Amino acid sequence: MKKLHNSHPPPYPLPSREGKIGEGVFVIPCTVKKDRVKDLLITASEEWDAFVPWKGPEEDVQFVKLPDEKRKNFLDRLSLEDGAPLIPPKTVIFPQLESLFEFEEGKIKEMIPSPTKKLLFGLRACDVKAILFVDDFFKRNFEDIYYLNRTMNKLLVLVGCKTPPRDCFCTSTKTGPFLPVPRSLGEVGKEGFDLQLVDIGKKYLVEVGSEKGKEFIGNYQDFFEEASKKDVELSKAMKKKAEEAVTLKIDFEKAIKNFCEDKISQIIYEKIAERCIYCGGCLYICPTCTCFNIFDGKKGDRGKRSRNWDACVFEGYTREASGHNPRAEKWLRTSRRYEHKLKYNYLTTGMSGCVGCGRCLATCPVNLGMSKLIQEVTK
Amino acid sequence: MKNEYLPHPARIESIQRESFDTQTFKVIFVDEKLAKSFNYKPGQFMEISLLGMGEAPISITSSPSRKGCLEFTIRAMGKLTRAINQLKRGNVLYLRGPYGNSFSLEEVKGKDLYFIAGGIGLPPLRSVINTVFDKRENFGKVKILYGAKTPDELCFKEELKVWQKFPNTELLLTVDTQDKDWKGNVGVVTTLWEKTAMDGNQAIACVCGPPIMIRFVVQKLLESQFKEKNIHISLERYMKCGLGKCGHCNIGGKFVCIDGPVFTYSQIKELPAKEHVL
Repeated sequence: MKKLHNSHPPPYPLPSREGKIGEGVFVIPCTVKKDRVKDLLITASEEWDAFVPWKGPEEDVQFVKLPDEKRKNFLDRLSLEDGAPLIPPKTVIFPQLESLFEFEEGKIKEMIPSPTKKLLFGLRACDVKAILFVDDFFKRNFEDIYYLNRTMNKLLVLVGCKTPPRDCFCTSTKTGPFLPVPRSLGEVGKEGFDLQLVDIGKKYLVEVGSEKGKEFIGNYQDFFEEASKKDVELSKAMKKKAEEAVTLKIDFEKAIKNFCEDKISQIIYEKIAERCIYCGGCLYICPTCTCFNIFDGKKGDRGKRSRNWDACVFEGYTREASGHNPRAEKWLRTSRRYEHKLKYNYLTTGMSGCVGCGRCLATCPVNLGMSKLIQEVTK
Repeated sequence: MKNEYLPHPARIESIQRESFDTQTFKVIFVDEKLAKSFNYKPGQFMEISLLGMGEAPISITSSPSRKGCLEFTIRAMGKLTRAINQLKRGNVLYLRGPYGNSFSLEEVKGKDLYFIAGGIGLPPLRSVINTVFDKRENFGKVKILYGAKTPDELCFKEELKVWQKFPNTELLLTVDTQDKDWKGNVGVVTTLWEKTAMDGNQAIACVCGPPIMIRFVVQKLLESQFKEKNIHISLERYMKCGLGKCGHCNIGGKFVCIDGPVFTYSQIKELPAKEHVL
């Protein structure tokens, strides 16, 4: 039997994020003109399945794959300037619904996604961190072949937030708005991004986070230009401005410490339980939530076994066939929802399950969310 | 990389009725190679499914020391288990696994073993019990305390008689509600403490049953000097994947499916009490 907790000792340090621009392993920064980005994506999509934040007809933004045709028209609705899309890029790496296998007359045919090359362009820093977290989860213990096949050949291009959305708090969780550039070989790939783009007006300054990112620039070098000293200066100023624009500040380290030391009273969960409608919205749009249900669908002799997102706040999530439910009371589900992210994720992986994107608050119909809870428990 | 989500067809060789709603299915993998190479440990479970009906985690009740067939005791409880209980000999069901940890018998050699089960909690323990009986000389005293709601609901009625005959072995039965033929003890399983000496000093206890039973049994075991680390409990939770991925069986930082289902009482004490583990 394994040990119950792989404890990380207090005081629960978070990684430092003092990255210096224009330094690091991949020294020479370059730029890409904003009006060339669409052409870059069209050219790259010959080789890659390119996913970009795309504004749909209802003005909602989510990551959508560049179609095979009419790509120019499609890219008219590319949304790189707005904040992180409410629907996270999790939909690309871990779809809301996916089939595991089909069956017909008792014969099973597996439906493994092909390991196509996937370019995720325009991710926010918080989402890169979330993808890193989800990657780690699906590799741990049993390797999940569906997830790993889908994501094994991915390239993550981060576009840092210029004007972070109101509800996010990435400077408190140290997950944005920009990530530190690797400054030694040991740091390469550690932050999760392959390329990081900094908005400096008419162009983006491009920083390299991994070998794969460097290779990408090499393969599409016609689109990139060498950065000037001024570009680098501008990018520094831009990062500073973006950081200052994140106005919601919370004491995240203290919150983690309080959770790990079991200092959260039941009354706090009960207060939330009085208001929460247990719709699960906050968890569906959480970029680090990975819970799923497995179910069968059948018509005659043919059918599929599939999995879809599930959420721990639902009453049926832990209810057994006998009717016994260890989390029948609402406050227990609330405590699970927060403790999983802020205590158990941290204790088992050293990473917290919150990346400060603020989506849970933004989507909540009754104005609850991670930042509100953290403010409450660190008062 | 192996696709752990793919189940394998297994044919029902025989069905034994245990009670009005419970049957034991003896199955064998259709794929002969798999049937030969398949291995498991006592205490492990498998995901059993019917295509189109879904999956459920069910303990293996047969013993790895008896090669050949796999056995599962299944109570008609939900949609899937009701459908399985309609099956006939020759029908096919689908299996994947085995999953979870097991009752470790290496560490308990030479010691006295106490098995305490309630209702449908006996099938997982039966896997250990028969493994022990197949190497009877390796262990000390064996006591099996088993309770069910009614005499009809006692599983493995014929086998219980066989177990009784093993040397240095005691079998104590009890029911909550007796019928006219019942001559044994009436009361919950802890009432059996009055019928036999329970000495936990050098002994190991394996417990499986409904949470309320486990809670009272553990208290009794502690009173009888069993050490916390020597009380092994098989937990049950709603589960989907069996692989530590879907999240349903999470308790604190642990997954019942991969870190369990067997936990010692000292490990259970480290889990958050509010999660109503016991």
